[in-house]
Amino acid sequence: MNRVFGAHRVAPLLVSWEIGSNIVRQFEIEARRDGAKFIEAEHMLLALASNADSDAGRLLIEAGLDHERLAAALREESRRTLAFAGMSAPDNGLAAINELNRLAPGAEATGLDGAPSLGTSAKMAVRRAMIGSRHDRGRRGRLRATDLLAGILEADFGTVPRALAIAGIDRAALASRAWGFE
Amino acid sequence: MVASMHSSIPSPLDGPADGLAAASALRAMADRIEDAEVERAMREGWSWSQVAEALGVTRQAVHKKHLRRLLMAHIELRRRSGE
Repeated sequence: MNRVFGAHRVAPLLVSWEIGSNIVRQFEIEARRDGAKFIEAEHMLLALASNADSDAGRLLIEAGLDHERLAAALREESRRTLAFAGMSAPDNGLAAINELNRLAPGAEATGLDGAPSLGTSAKMAVRRAMIGSRHDRGRRGRLRATDLLAGILEADFGTVPRALAIAGIDRAALASRAWGFE
Repeated sequence: MVASMHSSIPSPLDGPADGLAAASALRAMADRIEDAEVERAMREGWSWSQVAEALGVTRQAVHKKHLRRLLMAHIELRRRSGE
């Protein structure tokens, strides 16, 4: 667990995941699209929602959360959050990088390297997924996309639960379906 | 696992949750602005000391935080003697 929780890169985690490499690549794509330095839980959730052929993607879509609706909920969460600080959110894009680009046109920091690292919310989601998958089914290792989905959904605070509350999604019920998926 | 979502857990929206989310979002935004503007300043030939003074931190602090990233970006940095 410590090895996994302490890891910063996505690729080393793949050996213990049953999650397709295409979805993992989508984590990075979603983070870059958001202008984020780190892959956070919302980027993982967007990636899962964008893959309708996966079990996790089907669960999300059945709950009414396709990629488009999820992205809209995240935009609304960003708008609401920035509004608290008296700032207006941009109309397009998921988060504050667009605001940054408005403040400093043409300025975009270069990352440490090509691949974004896992942020805290993503690490916590992986940690919950690994603990839950062992606990609930008595099996070891191999993390499935539905486990990761449940791990993401079990965060009580932060961007994902805020966005899902805004979208009117029953997070507990969806997490329960994800844990119980066989 | 699902039992952790007890009704006594505060809502992720409203009250302190909104303010805490705003603090987190603004911190992330400040980091992004700092990364972008330090990079722009160094590309334009600012010294570490000038950047540090503008940020209100020590030269050592800005050096420690940004040097590796700027080197990875192949940005030509001013030597200390040039400050």
